[in-house]
Amino acid sequence: MSEQHSPRRPYLAPLTASWWLKHRYYRFYMLREATVLPLLFFCGCLIAGFYSLQQGESSWLNWLSFMAQPWVMALNALTFAASLFHAKTFFELFPRVMPLLPAPLMIAGQWLGTVAVAALLLLLLGGVL
Amino acid sequence: MEKTVEKTVEKTLVIQRYNPEHDQTPSQQRYQVPFDNSTSVLDALLYIQQSLDPSLAFRWSCRMAICGSCSVMVNGIPKLGCKTFLRDYSGDLLLEPLAHFATEKDLVSDMTLFLQHLQAVKPYLIRQEQSAAITPATKPQPHKQTPKQLAKYRKFSSCINCGLCYAACPQFGLNPEFLGPAALTLAQRYNLDSRDQGKAERMPQLNGKNGVWGCTFVGFCSDVCPKHLDPAAAVNQGKVASATDFVIGLFKP
Amino acid sequence: MQILHTDIAIIGGGGAGLRAAIAAAQTDPNCKISLLSKVYPMRSHTVAAEGGAAAVTLQQDSLQAHFDDTVAGSDWLADQDVVDYFVSHAYQELVQLEHWGCPWSRRDDGSVQVRRFGGMKTERTWFAADKTGFHILHTLFQTSLQFANINRLDEFFVVDLLVVEQQIAGVLAMQLSSGELYQIQAKSVILATGGAGRVFHYNTNGGIVTGDGMALAYRHGVALRDMEFVQYHPTGLPGSGILITEASRGEGGILLNKDGYRYLQDYGLGPETPLGKPESKFMELGPRDKLSQAFWHEQQKGRTGNYGEHAVVYLDLRHLGSRYLNERLPFICELAKSYVNVDPAKAPIPIRPAVHYTMGGILTDGQGQTSIAGLYAIGECASVGLHGANRLGSNSLTELLVFGKVAGVAAVAHAKQRQALPSSALNAQCQQHHHQLQARFGTKQADNVASLRKAMTLAMEQGCGIYRTTEGMQQCLTTLLQLKQRYQQLAVSDHSKIFNYELLQHYELGFGLDVAEAMCASALARQESRGAHQRLDQGMQSRNDTDYLQHSIAQLMPETAGAASGSAKISYQPVRITKSPPAARLYGGAATKQEPV
Repeated sequence: MSEQHSPRRPYLAPLTASWWLKHRYYRFYMLREATVLPLLFFCGCLIAGFYSLQQGESSWLNWLSFMAQPWVMALNALTFAASLFHAKTFFELFPRVMPLLPAPLMIAGQWLGTVAVAALLLLLLGGVL
Repeated sequence: MEKTVEKTVEKTLVIQRYNPEHDQTPSQQRYQVPFDNSTSVLDALLYIQQSLDPSLAFRWSCRMAICGSCSVMVNGIPKLGCKTFLRDYSGDLLLEPLAHFATEKDLVSDMTLFLQHLQAVKPYLIRQEQSAAITPATKPQPHKQTPKQLAKYRKFSSCINCGLCYAACPQFGLNPEFLGPAALTLAQRYNLDSRDQGKAERMPQLNGKNGVWGCTFVGFCSDVCPKHLDPAAAVNQGKVASATDFVIGLFKP
Repeated sequence: MQILHTDIAIIGGGGAGLRAAIAAAQTDPNCKISLLSKVYPMRSHTVAAEGGAAAVTLQQDSLQAHFDDTVAGSDWLADQDVVDYFVSHAYQELVQLEHWGCPWSRRDDGSVQVRRFGGMKTERTWFAADKTGFHILHTLFQTSLQFANINRLDEFFVVDLLVVEQQIAGVLAMQLSSGELYQIQAKSVILATGGAGRVFHYNTNGGIVTGDGMALAYRHGVALRDMEFVQYHPTGLPGSGILITEASRGEGGILLNKDGYRYLQDYGLGPETPLGKPESKFMELGPRDKLSQAFWHEQQKGRTGNYGEHAVVYLDLRHLGSRYLNERLPFICELAKSYVNVDPAKAPIPIRPAVHYTMGGILTDGQGQTSIAGLYAIGECASVGLHGANRLGSNSLTELLVFGKVAGVAAVAHAKQRQALPSSALNAQCQQHHHQLQARFGTKQADNVASLRKAMTLAMEQGCGIYRTTEGMQQCLTTLLQLKQRYQQLAVSDHSKIFNYELLQHYELGFGLDVAEAMCASALARQESRGAHQRLDQGMQSRNDTDYLQHSIAQLMPETAGAASGSAKISYQPVRITKSPPAARLYGGAATKQEPV
């Protein structure tokens, strides 16, 4: 019995690089993931800061005035907003991954923890600076 | 909402057609369908098949969103045809076969990959003492399982295997070897079942390159799941299990 | 044509088919089992069953009680040796499912929960929320995946049986994805193809429940038994017929007519039980046939409400509260909201009877064996003798498991002692079918599959409904014979090979017409009222044990010269009575008075 040519020819639509533009849900996801980009810039700033601290007073002062520039401040403000946004989405996802307590409790708890840690750091470092 | 019968109101359905015996690529065909406030997409498809065009191919059976047959893309969103109602759409409806699966014909997708992935995670109860055939003489008893233990996995056991989550998942779209939401949810369902002892047997699949780590928590799968069982949660709980497994593995001789 | 060889071919991947496959695979790991289904197994209609599966569980229950309930429920048409076997093997099957992972609902102490169900004296129905069939099917399907010797042929549609000298030799099946015919040689064949509810217009069934296996066996001379007994489920949604489980009544739901009156007390099911305190075999927990018949009477009296163009009564669950409803009946809440826009916690659900279950089917012995050696039938497509004239809710899911196992084991034993038949004997049969298949194609005409099917379903709804008359059934039979003639001239206008659903429906229509005719002819011949078969004709309105304590047997007579197609010949077969002699079938207060103190 010879192999009959099957008339089947399944068609798979090719996935384009712009797949994520197709739906609001995907766009939101990409936005969430994109928060890493301004964060990278901020990390770059911090690394540059540590380096210039090592190099001496004039270097450090240069870095400080760089950081005070409007466009840098704007970008870092964006980074702050992006981090808050990322934290919000993460805190909402986390109770689904580890359902230890009712979700609203866990979300509130995570924010509380974040604020507490931030306050503590500001207190300690504020004292130093 | 009173059921009204206004058969003169019509909606346009634009349906992707593809017959591999004639067509190189899919095309679209328009149909006018009368509807009232209870007409579902499935009702509309049946009307077309029965009154306008008997060659239109689509899967269906139960009509009550429990068999998982009638998956379709409606205006780009994965939906069950029997539970999507024309009354909720103001303009035309675009009907296409499930995204990320190959199309066999019209709205019929090739579900082979889906079944392969389902099978790959060993989705059955694994116990050390495999039950021999049960007879009245052996006086078998059910295992105990409290409502609390049942609640841990019951949601994940409600998957109707409709495949909508795969159509939503961009990672599966980019990599068809990714096991995907339903398969990984089923694995988690058994891993969480207090009667199961097979977690170790499932972990290799979950830990592997096409396992849980292929997921980046886009979360669209949970949004489209008609049974609201949150497959994204299951898959990412699987990541916790996988990470724990890895750490424990570091300490074993 | 491709030829495949297997030891056991199982047709139908629902609860019964999967259970048989697992049983066969466990019995002999070297036995090759092919599981064919026209849909993926998890689409099988078992998936839609909601309420539960019965087995004697509680201390205060007994096998005798389950036996008595089932026999009385059958209006004494059940074969009592079969019922005996069934009740004795029910519990172990449900436990076996639990061992396979089925998520049965539990009591607080971790033991399995059981609930009340219509016509059952004691709580004995195991359930998994209100999606028991779903969970049973998925448990069986997932369990089957671990057996290497179960080979699934998904979306293969069996178009004919291959029989040589009253021995089964295999099946002829069409692969839907390619349109190719496959000759599948097998030493044992198990039909598990489900019921035939789709031959009626309003039904709870999915589109696939078209009586395929019944017709396949019927065309090869196997008798169809008790075909006149078609169960109307009392609570289907108006229009679609979508099922609202009996469990909603088991949990305390009540039925009201348009005046808000609990009308069932007028029909031998009273006295009225207090709200929230349902009592087994009273009121809404009476058997399905009596509840559906009560609806019909209410409709005659003009006491039913309206939903669109449909007459309805109302299922009131409000007193249960939304918390309890979400825990015990979440699926029902979802269905009511989606399909009739009602929140059961706030408003009663409009419902009406819809065809739900086919008590009759392929005649088998207590082991599932038919009159063709090596051919078995199980589940709803079979008449093993369990349900008689009316099935009790939650007996059917258990039936799939008990007799699925029996047939799976028997099929293995049969296959072992069989020699395979030479292909030459089968090639001629297959070639002939291939030619007939080609002849089905033609150009588009006024008559088409959809219009003929609609005519069939409307005729059956009209002539073989809840209450039947001689004229009505005769008219129906005439219509069916005319439709069968028109069917011979019907052409399939879609000529494609791949997923040709018009062709599939063409086959299914042919099967449905044969089954419908057997149903109608059997109904016409039974000149009494019993269980789900009720007649309004003079002298036929009650049970006549003298003449009709018998099973009806429908056999397809070969085509005679001049006739376009065969027709049914009806004969009778005694019922096997062992422990329970026929008595009055009583529910409600009347039953309590009868019971010994």
